[in-house]
This record gives sequence, structure tokens and C-alpha cells, in this order.
Amino acid sequence: MSGRLEGIGIVKRYGGLTAVDDVSVTTEAGTISALIGPNGAGKTTLFQCLAGSERPDSGQVLLNGRDITHASSDARARLGLGRTFQRLAVFSSMTVADNLGVGAENRTNAPVLVRIGAMLSAIFGFPLGDGKGHQRRVGEVIDLLGLGDVRTELAGSLPTGTLRLVELGRALCHDPTVLLLDEPASGLDTAETRRLQTVLRDVAAEGLAILLVEHDVDLVFGVADHVYAMAEGRLIADGSPDEIRHHAAVLDAYLS
Amino acid sequence: MLSLNYALAGLGLGAIAALSGVGLLVTYRATGVFNVAHGAIAMMAAYLFWQFTDQWGLPVWLSALLVLLLIAPAFGVLLERVIFRPLQRRHARPAESLVATIGLLVLLLGVAFVVWGAQPRSPSGLFPGRVLHPGSLTVHLDALADLAVVVVGTALLALVLRRTSLGTQIRAVVDRRDLAELAGVDADRVAAIGWSIGCVFAALTGILLAAQLSLQPFNLTLVVLETFAMPVIAGLTNIPIAIGAGIALGIGQSQMNLWTPNDSQLASIWGALQSNLPVVLLLLALLARQRLAEARGDAGITTTFARRRAAEPSIRRMTLQYTLAAIAMFLPLTFGAVHLREAQEIPALALIFVSIVAVTGYSGQISLGQAGYAGLGALFFAKVSAGTPQLFALLVAAIAAGLVGFLTGYPAIRRRGLFLALTTFAVGAFVSRFVFAQPYFTSNVDVHRPSLFGLSLEGDRAFYLFELAMLAIGFLVMYNLRAGALGRSLVAIRDSEEGARSVGVDVRVLKVLIFTVSAMLAGLGGALLAQQAGSFDATTFDPLEASLPWFAVVIVFGADSAVAAVIGASFVVFINGVTGQDNAYLIPIGLMAAFLGRLPGGAAEAARRTFEWVLTPTPLMRHYAKRKPPPRPTIALSPAGRAALARMRARS
Repeated sequence: MSGRLEGIGIVKRYGGLTAVDDVSVTTEAGTISALIGPNGAGKTTLFQCLAGSERPDSGQVLLNGRDITHASSDARARLGLGRTFQRLAVFSSMTVADNLGVGAENRTNAPVLVRIGAMLSAIFGFPLGDGKGHQRRVGEVIDLLGLGDVRTELAGSLPTGTLRLVELGRALCHDPTVLLLDEPASGLDTAETRRLQTVLRDVAAEGLAILLVEHDVDLVFGVADHVYAMAEGRLIADGSPDEIRHHAAVLDAYLS
Repeated sequence: MLSLNYALAGLGLGAIAALSGVGLLVTYRATGVFNVAHGAIAMMAAYLFWQFTDQWGLPVWLSALLVLLLIAPAFGVLLERVIFRPLQRRHARPAESLVATIGLLVLLLGVAFVVWGAQPRSPSGLFPGRVLHPGSLTVHLDALADLAVVVVGTALLALVLRRTSLGTQIRAVVDRRDLAELAGVDADRVAAIGWSIGCVFAALTGILLAAQLSLQPFNLTLVVLETFAMPVIAGLTNIPIAIGAGIALGIGQSQMNLWTPNDSQLASIWGALQSNLPVVLLLLALLARQRLAEARGDAGITTTFARRRAAEPSIRRMTLQYTLAAIAMFLPLTFGAVHLREAQEIPALALIFVSIVAVTGYSGQISLGQAGYAGLGALFFAKVSAGTPQLFALLVAAIAAGLVGFLTGYPAIRRRGLFLALTTFAVGAFVSRFVFAQPYFTSNVDVHRPSLFGLSLEGDRAFYLFELAMLAIGFLVMYNLRAGALGRSLVAIRDSEEGARSVGVDVRVLKVLIFTVSAMLAGLGGALLAQQAGSFDATTFDPLEASLPWFAVVIVFGADSAVAAVIGASFVVFINGVTGQDNAYLIPIGLMAAFLGRLPGGAAEAARRTFEWVLTPTPLMRHYAKRKPPPRPTIALSPAGRAALARMRARS
């Protein structure tokens, strides 16, 4: 399994404001890249363009070499792009296991007619699909993330920190090749953040390409292999965590 | 060529439409609640005015004063205090406010129907209906007066909004309620004023409109509901645009008199188009829009009404429940002829309710047009059954209704919450006005009870059994829609559309699918309803008399439960049977829906809790007493994870 996501020359404008101005980023299989920058730097907009919630005004998004600039967000997911949300988007009236199940069950990238056929077949009482396999995948991810104690709890009743893991697990059950994480550590306490770091390392070690947007500088420098720094819609620096930590422009953008 | 005479004639109705639109917008801007009950408030005010003047003989000015300056504002304050403030207090989702206003609408319709009956009245107008003839022109004085009222009313409103501190406060509350409250603005007072102004405008609309048309609970309310086109065209924001659209509508409608097609067929279409121009406008405005600005977030989530338990109950318990339910369903077979006939409505209605559970409960799409699909099913069955096997005709009816559901599913892909609610309502109203109300489609329609492979179902018992069989098929479909991966994907869309997309759930296909299946179920139910009655009656499938109350019933009894839908259908038939009035059920249902904010999960949830409490009080109490916060997850580290952790610790 190898993943690679490229954003090439992404531009996004809102009215007269250019939120993202000609930014290119790349994530490679097995590595963790991070996108940092002060508030209003355009990180989230760039993230939305990559994830498919927004369409860039110009530029290209390539997933494993395939142009997905105009694909809808669910089509991107079926092509192997997983994501989490800054504002949680869990299925609150379902259990944790079912939340992850939705991820596992929609893994198929069959043509649309085949998927419709499967739905019709389910309506008539003959569900297709590999139920056992999905259950196994859910079990694996629950073990990986340590969600065993809450697997039958309703997601709506759980604290934010746990739900961040549920979202991550849901995305992982979908077996993505590229994983986009929007502020995965917000709402987590120090211990949880540290745990998240190790999970991300594990996941990347399996060959996923991870890109995260994060405010928590400690997390970023602790876990990322490559850091992109943005300010005012532009990319001002990119490099290893150590290079970025001492980069004059980055210090400037953060301090001013 | 525009005619000045026609323009003048259309001015009055246009002005009233504008007035209604302004009232809706004011409440919406000040409170964030889109008041679907606006039309019912207008209708109630018109009835009160008629009661005061034409029944009790009070002078017109006094009645107007009482209704417009005393009762309407007081009612607005009451609404804010009793229904909407509690919702606001606990940050209820916009969908809950929407349901509360639907409940209010249903309640007011029920009250008006029970108190004043369905026969049309012709109340006296606020202004004398004199006609002047300056030159070649015909000038209706009351139309001019209506226009003057709109101008004065909106000018006053604009003055208040722009020049007084109240206006500033309203705008502050609209922008950011929390910040406004921090700055010392009494947001509750602002909301109460917003409701009052909205109610006064609604009352004025009702009184003026009743003088031009006639006064009847459902018709007048529907006419006001159709003026929703104005705020929609105005994007729910711009009051001047709403006024302009209203006036343009009135004038446009009267200008259509200028051309009468020679061909009689064409003429009847043209006539239908003219008299139903507001519905057409509403539907087109909704379809043309990409998005509808919503003041307070997304109204798409109906989770509050559709709780689902974490674990299915035990097999023993389910067997017990289903056996009891089945016995209850077979019980009417022992009834006498009269009651059996009444009970025959239950399975038919239950199928339609179940269709609402599928689309709204299971997948979170608010659909206010289900009666439209039901009516299409009834009509298609009647048309096809003439020369073909009945069972085949029933299938055709379901498929035909499903096709229209399929078409509605497309706009539903990008629409949610209020936007979707209005669109589905408009589709239902469109179908009702252009199909059910047209003699071309509905004259000479005979509905017979089906016969099965030569086995006649004319007999009441046989027909009831046949209905139960159809309901059982519906339940099978519902079970499959709820179970397994398909059910989980639908709930995923209901809980979080974004989240569902992020793991590849094909939201587009699923939405179209669920609308299609739901419309098919509704169509089947509608066909059974018509067979039960032995005729096709347009009012049975009216958007206002049927769609909205039916939706309220389903929400009240628990939107996520097909069994609850059957109980709801039994409740409706039972209440109507006991009181001997067709719409008596509107009052309890309306009350429960309006106050649903205090009973989350609906009656089904409350009943379930009571049931559990009666069965197992002590363990339940112990459960709540000992309820601990859920345990936090612990992470089991893989070898790679442990290595990474060691590296990290070494670094720090």
C-alpha cells in the first residue's frame, strides 16, 4: 500500500480575499507532513481544497497520481483519501463500533451501478458485501486505538478526546492510502496527545501518507517528518522540523 | 402589453403577499425561527375578526384594534415565552424549532376546524369594497387601501429597525446572540418583539386576505403558506426584495388575464397556471436557489427526534412485543361492520406514516410532501386498475409514485433542513394543485377494491387482511432499510452528512434511493386509502390537511420507529372515530409537536421509558444512580509505537 497526495499551485479566493495563494504541498507514503501557521494563514482552506469540501479556483490535486481536483469528497474517500474533522463529524446516535463499521462497509470502489445494485439487493433482504471482513477490520482498528472499553457506547455520549480517536478509527477502517487530519489534537489533554503521536507513527509505519493541520506545535515537531509553514495564504517555508523551528520567516510570522 | 386595469386589480393581492413575506422575514431575522405557522396565525386572526364583526356585531375599527394591537402581539409574546424560549435556552437545533412551528400550525388548524367548522365564510373587509371609475380605469378602493397598509406598515417597520435602539438590538441579536447578550441586550425581549411583529403582520395578512377570498381553515392558511415564495426569493434576508416580489406576483397574476388560449385544453392549463402562480413561483424559486441563507446554522439534523438505542432488546422481549402488536392488528377483525370500516384506515395510513419514518427518521431528510406521493399512488391505481390485474395496478401505482419521489430526490441531494422542508412541501403543493385539483385527471375516477387471482376483496374482513399483508411487506422493506450496512449508511447521513462523505458513503445515490423507496411506500398506502374510501378525494392528499399533520404525527410518536408509526395511525383513526370529527386529531398532535422540545424522542421514547420503569423500576433506578462517565480508552501500543514513545522520551 502506498499513498501520495499532491496539491499543486492551489489558489482559493473568497470575494476579494485570496485565502490560499499558489501553494503546493506533497505527502509521501510512510511519512507524516504537517501544515502550520498562525490563524488566518489559510491552512484550513488549503486542507478543505485537498479533502474536497472546497474546490480550488486554480491548481490541481493528485491522489496517487490521479487528478481528483473535481471529484466530490465521497468519491475521493472511495479512491483512498481518509480525513478527520476539526469540528467533530461523528455519527452520534450510533455506537463506536458502528461508527467504525460505516467506514469499513463503504470501502468499495465499485462502479456506481454495482453499488446501486448492492443497495437494492439489501432492500429486498439480501445484503451483499463481506460482513465478516468488515467486522474483523473494525476489531483491528479498535484494538489499535484502544477503543475496546467504549465500543458499545453511543458516540454522542463520549468526550471530545475519545471522539477524535473514533473519527480517526472510522477513517482507518476505510483503509485509506492518504490520511488528512484537521487539528487532531484539539480538545485532547497532554496524555492523550502523546498517545495520538504514537498512533500516528504506527499508522504511518504501515505505509500511509499523513498530512495534518495542527496548532499544537509540540505535537507537530514531535511527530512530523516534514513541515509546511503558511502565513497570509502563502507558503513561507518547508523542511524538516528542525529547519522550520529555526527558520527566520516562520519565527517572524508567529511572533509578529 | 400590460393593462393598467389588471395591474390595479392585482395590486391588492400582491400587496397582501408582500405583507405576509415581510412578517415572516421579521420573525425569522429576529429569532432565527422560520415560522411555518405564519399562515395559521393569519387564519386564526381572520376568524377572530369575523367572529367580532360579523357574529358579535362589534364595529370594524374596534375589532381590528382588538385583533391587531392586542391579541396578535400578546399571542406573539406567549409563543416566545412558552414554546420558543425553552428551545433557545437549551440551544435546540433549528430542526426542532421547525417542528415546533409545524406543531403550532397543526394545533391552530385543529382549533379553527373544531370551533368554526370547515364551511367557508365571507367576512366583511377592513376597508369598504367600493369601486371608482376615473376615466377608463377601474379602481378597487380596498386594493389601494391594502397597498397603503403595506406601505405604512413596512415604513413603520423600517423606521423602527433603522432609527431606534430596538432596531440596533435586533440586528445585534441576529448577528451574534451570545455577544449581544454579553453586551447587555435582553435577547429574550428582542425575540418576543420579533414574534409580536410577525404575528401582527400575519394577522393583518389574514384579515385582508379573508375579505378578498373566502374564509376556511385550510384554504386560507394554504394561500398564506404559498407566499413563502416571497421570503425565499429574498433569500430570507432582503425585505425590499420580498415586497417587490409580492407586488410583482400580484400584478403578474392579473396580467395573465390578458391572454386566453382558444384551445380549451390549453385554456384550462393556463387557468390553472394563473390561479396557482404562487405555488409555481415557490417551487421555481426553491429549485433555482443553490443555497438558502440560514440565520442559525443547519436545520438538517433530526437526531433529536430519532433516537436509536445502542443495543437491540433481547429476543424474548422482541417476540413479546411483536406478538402483542400482531394481536392488536388482528383485533379489528372481530369488530362490527362500522368499526371495522374505520379500522381499515389504520393499515393504509400506517403505510404512509412508515414512509415518513423511512425518509425522515432513518435518514434525516425532512419531507413535507408525502401526501403528494400517496395521492399519486391512489390516482395511478385508479387509472390503471380499470383493465388490468389489480395487484399489477398496485405495483404500477407504487412505481409511479416512486418515480416522482426519484425526481424529488435530486433536489434533495444538495438541500437540507429548512431548505429541503420547503422544497418537499412545494413539490407536494404543486402535485396537489396541478394534478389532484384538476378535473382532467380526477374526474370519472373509480376506485375499486382489488381482487386477488379471482378472489374478491370486496368484503371488509378480506380487504382488511389484504391491507395487513401490504403493511407486512412495508415492514419487511423497513427492516431491511434499517438493518446492516445500508441502515448504518442512512443513519450516517442523518447524523453527519460530512462525516458520511468522508468515508465514501454515496450520499447522492442514497438520498435519491431513500426518497424513491419512501414515495413507493407512500404511494402504496395512498392506493389502499383510496380503496378503503372507495373514491379518490383530493382533500385526503392535501399538502396542508394531510402532509404537514402526518409529518407531525410521525415526529410525535417517534420518527425512528416503524412500530410507532402504526401506533400513530391507530391514534389518528381512534381520536377521529371517538369524536366523530375528521380533523379532531390535529389538536392533540399539534400540542405534542409544538411542545416536543420538552419530550425529546417523541411519545415513543416517553412510552418506552414508562414501560421500562413499570417493568423494572429498581434496576433502572440503580442504573441511573450509579451512572459513571464512560471510561476513557487506553491505547495498546504496537512494537513500532513503543519504539516511537521511547525515542520521544529520550528526546525530551
